[in-house]
Order: sequence, then structure tokens, then C-alpha cells
Amino acid sequence: MKEINWSQFWSTFKKTYSIYLVLLALFIVCSFANPNFLSVNNLTNISTQLAVTTILAFGQTLLIISGMLDLSQGSVLALSGVFAVSAYKATGSFTVAIITGIMTGIVCNILNAVMVSTFKTPPFIATLAMLTMARGVALLFTKGQNILQLGDFTVLGQGSIGFVPIPVIFLIIFAVITWYILRHTKFGRSLFAVGGNEEAAVASGINVHKVKYTAFIINGIFVGMAGILFMSRVNAGLPNGAINYEFTALTAAIIGGTSFSGGIGSAGGTLAGAFIVGFLDNIMNLTNVDSYMQQIIRGAIIALAVIYDIHSKNRRTKSTLGRIEDKGIRRKGKGITESHK
Amino acid sequence: MKKTLLTMVSMLLVTGMLAGCGNSDKANSANGGEKANSGDKVYKIAYIARAQSDSFAAWLANAVKEEAKKYPDIKLEIFDGQANDDKENSMIENAITNKFDLVIVQPNNGEAQRPYVEKVIKDGKFAITKNARITGIEGASSVDADPYEQAGVNARAALDQIPQNAKVVVLNGPSGNFHADKRRESWQKEFFDKRPDVQIVGEQIANWNKDEAMKYMEDWVQANDKIDAVISMNDNMAAGAIEAVKDNSKFDGMLAYGVDGTLEAFQLIKEGKMTSTCLQNAFELAEKLLDTSSKLLTGAEKQVDTDIGNPLITKDNVDEYIALLEKAEALK
Repeated sequence: MKEINWSQFWSTFKKTYSIYLVLLALFIVCSFANPNFLSVNNLTNISTQLAVTTILAFGQTLLIISGMLDLSQGSVLALSGVFAVSAYKATGSFTVAIITGIMTGIVCNILNAVMVSTFKTPPFIATLAMLTMARGVALLFTKGQNILQLGDFTVLGQGSIGFVPIPVIFLIIFAVITWYILRHTKFGRSLFAVGGNEEAAVASGINVHKVKYTAFIINGIFVGMAGILFMSRVNAGLPNGAINYEFTALTAAIIGGTSFSGGIGSAGGTLAGAFIVGFLDNIMNLTNVDSYMQQIIRGAIIALAVIYDIHSKNRRTKSTLGRIEDKGIRRKGKGITESHK
Repeated sequence: MKKTLLTMVSMLLVTGMLAGCGNSDKANSANGGEKANSGDKVYKIAYIARAQSDSFAAWLANAVKEEAKKYPDIKLEIFDGQANDDKENSMIENAITNKFDLVIVQPNNGEAQRPYVEKVIKDGKFAITKNARITGIEGASSVDADPYEQAGVNARAALDQIPQNAKVVVLNGPSGNFHADKRRESWQKEFFDKRPDVQIVGEQIANWNKDEAMKYMEDWVQANDKIDAVISMNDNMAAGAIEAVKDNSKFDGMLAYGVDGTLEAFQLIKEGKMTSTCLQNAFELAEKLLDTSSKLLTGAEKQVDTDIGNPLITKDNVDEYIALLEKAEALK
């Protein structure tokens, strides 16, 4: 019988499942910290609250894996949302509203892709420009005023099918889509390849240009839909809404193990990362932790996640280098032996 | 690629310059261009808004723009401080350089803008600070609403309305903001200090935002079977808290207080979901701003410090104020 290498098993287990262990540990701690945490109502509440930012986080995950990111998500969400709300108010049609919201997300992200892929602008700069522009258009369109009286439009963000809130259903759908893209499509594999080493990806025949455009377009669909859900949930078209949501999404992705330097990430990890952030926010509110303290805790968690990411990457690099050196020494040794012969 | 990029940037610049020229022509004709042609003095006013992304600041800027049309001897230009001290300060400096006769500043952070407003005065120009005013600048005028009173009129009404041993939640504006801090201070002195029986079961900064307030309220509802009142430093946050419990019958009699007088708050008051708000009337602010500007520029006054009223809006008088805000909607 083959002997189990426990050290290797633990290393693989830790690499793959550590985020879920953290989530489980946090869940247990929160359950003891406040008796209301475990109630079905509260868990439903957390999932509903997380739907919008987690959908954004899935978009970020796809982009970060391919070596990009999107700082304009919050602004594009607001723009998509106010356009969708206006379309709904003008036509009374959900279909028109959803198409309008999603198309807005797509158009903004095609512009992001043009800047990043065609004009080779760093994603940080390109999407920062879009952050300002999209918010500006939303404010110009609404003259800075909230759009009110959304009527039945609220059903998307506040309604439920059975006992499951509609935003949670969308959260599950987008989680499955992201998981499927990353695990079962050629495009998903290309994202990892481009993010891992763009030059190698080009050399292996991947159309990097097409991969980047597609990643941004998918992100646009996610952001557009998130915008519709957001406005529907708050029952208003808020041109100032969702400020800094891109950072919440980035936090969820990074805590979930998506490597900031690209090439690594998963839908499950991001989902777990989003729930870690959500559980923490919820327990801090349930126990009435001071606003400033909440900011410190959130910041510390991001810092820890990034340190862990860098640390594990260094370890991987060292072990890879070690293997290369080992092979080199062995080969050299073999050479010496052979020359002695 | 480089050529294409350069061509695009050049085209954008040229388009921008042409658009700028067009706008300036329009501004001239809308604000006393005829007078300018006839040789009469046209005064240039720079209006520096805190942030056009702030819905109240946007309403105020729109109201000021409309009000300025009544003054043919005034040419008003609006600048957006983008909630950024550096940008706002640069805009004040630019207004000095561009020889504006009067600079109206809606500070992002009063103390950060203070030295720049002082520069305007030193340069021999007029300055008005408003909403919130920067106090104690010799020679500078101010037009404001009193944030202490805005919260105070609600807090004093709440003394009789909020039941004994009530559990309440408090939603604050951004820390360091003059209006946010003063409104909270007012609630403390006018209500909490006089009602030690009332327990605050949740207090957070929701940054004036409806979505943030909604999230906090959703969590507080999980931890508390009963919340008797929402004490919010603005209407947006109060509306968010109300949205979070609107289908929950346990919170049917919940009281809610805000400040600003947004259309949404008025609708909620009319529906009986919100208790009261205090109107911060942008039209009245705009009227006083232009009137003060005119008095300063024509030499009728040397310095003016004035406040608008702080009317409490309840179910009894909300209809007349809805009519007022419908006018604001017309400005869109």
C-alpha cells in the first residue's frame, strides 16, 4: 500500500481549502459572539446584503486572474443602475431596464478594454479614468438628484422566490457562471495563462487581445446586473450610490485567494472571501462596534490577506527554484559521474 | 498606434476648446451679455460648490444658477470642488488669478479653505462662505443654515414623541463635517442629555448615504426586536433605514427624523413612515446668496452674515413643501 505523505497532503489541503477553514472558524466565533448571528433571518440578511458586492467581486476575480483589475466598478454600477431605472420608469418593462443596465456596463467596459488592451494603458489608470467619467455621466444625467418612486422595479432587489431572496438567486447564478468559466472553458484557461505570464501566453498562441476584451465584457455584464439589483434594493436611482464598492469587491477577491499579480484565483475562494467580509461586517454591527474600529479591522484584514498572498507566492517561488536547482545539481552530478566513467 | 493616439488626443482637445468657447458665449448671453455690450459693469462671480456629486450641493448649485438669471449685472460661473480640499483650494486661487469680483465658497472642510478665502479678501475681492460658513474671517460674508438648529427643531419635537425607555439608533454623517458634527451635538444636548431613559442600541457613520444606512439598519433589526426611533443626521440615511424595515410589521410605529427636506423624505412623511425633517431650503439660500452678492458688489453693504430659516416639516405642513420641491424638480 502506498504511504501517505502527510506533509505534502497538508500543504495541498492548506493551499486549496484554508480560506474555507477561515470562513468556518469565523462562522463559529460569530455564532458565539452574538446569539442573533445564527438566526435564519440574519443569515438570509447577510446573503442579500452580499449579493451586489459579490457579483462585482466575481468580475474582479476574472480580471485579476488575467492580470488586470477594474477600479470603475462602483461608478459604472451607479451609471448602469440609473440608466436601468430611467428605462424602467419610461417603459415599465423589466426587459428593457435589464438590457439597458447590462448594455451600459458592457459599453463602459469595452472602453476600459480599448484603453487597456489597444492603447496599452495600465488597467489601474484606465479604469480610474472610467471611474471619474462614469460617475460624471450619472450625475450629469440625473443632475445629482435621486430618482424616486420605482414601483414594481423593487421586486428584483427586495422580492423572493419561496424563502430565497431574488438577489441571492442572482448571486448563485453568477457564482456558477464564474466557476464554470474558470474551470470548464478554454477562455477560463486562457485567463490564467495571460495572468500567469502574458509573453508565454502569446507564444503559446493565445489571442491575448481577445481574452482581455472578453474579460472586460463579462465584467461589464456583471457590473450592469449588480447596478440593477442595487437600485432595486434601495428603491431609488442613486447617482451617488455604491461609492467604493470596487474596493469591497477587490477585498473579497483578494481575501478569497485571488493573487493580485495574476494567474491564481477561484470562484469558490471569492465567494468565501465575500462571506468573510460579510460575516465580519455583520457581527461588528450586531455587537455595535464603533465605526472607526470597524475601519481598522477591515484594513487589518486586507493587509493580512495581502501578506499571506505575498508570503505564499515567495514560498512557491522558492520551492520552484529549489526544484530547478536540485535538477541542475543532479544533472551536473550526473555529468561529473559520466565524465569520470 | 502612437499616431492614432495623438490624433485622438488632439481632436479631444480641439473639441473641448470649441465647446468651452461655445459655453462661454452662452454664459455671456444668459447672464447679462447685453449689458456687457452696452458698456455697463458686469460683475464676475465664481461659485465653487463643495461637490456636484452631493445631491444637496447639486440642488443648491442649480438654484443659484437660476437665481443669477434675475441679476443682469452678474455673470456667474460654477466650479465643482469634487469634495477635494486641494481641488477646491486651487479653484479659489484660479478665481483670484482670473479676476473674479466675488468668490462664493461652499467649503469641503472649512479650515482647509480658510487661508484661501483669506487670500481672496487680501486681494481686495469679496468672498462669501456658505453652507457651511467659515467663521471669523474679517471682511468675508456668510450665508448659511444653522446645523445645530436644523437638528434642534427635530430633537425638541422628539422629546415628547419618543416613548419612555425607548431604544433608538443613530445614523451620522461623515466625521469632521461641520454640519454632521453640529447636528449630532444638537441631538445630544437637546435630546439625549434630557432623556437618559433612552438607549442607543446602534450608532454608525453612514456618510449621508441611503445604501449604507439601509445595511446598518438591516443588521440592527437582527439584534433588536424593537427599535422605537431612527435619529438620522440627514434624510437620505433616514430613508435607507425606513426602506430596511418597510415590510416588517414589528416596526410599524417606528419614528424617524432627518434633515434636508428631500422629496423622498417629504413623500415618506406624507405616507406616515417618517416623523419629521428640517428643510434646508436651497432656493432661500440661493436668494440670499445673490442678494448678498449684489449688495456687496454695488457697495450697499461691506459685510453680511445671514442665515436661512429652519422650518420643521411634519405631516401637518408637508404638502406646501412638496409643492416647493416640485419647483426643484422643474430645474432638472
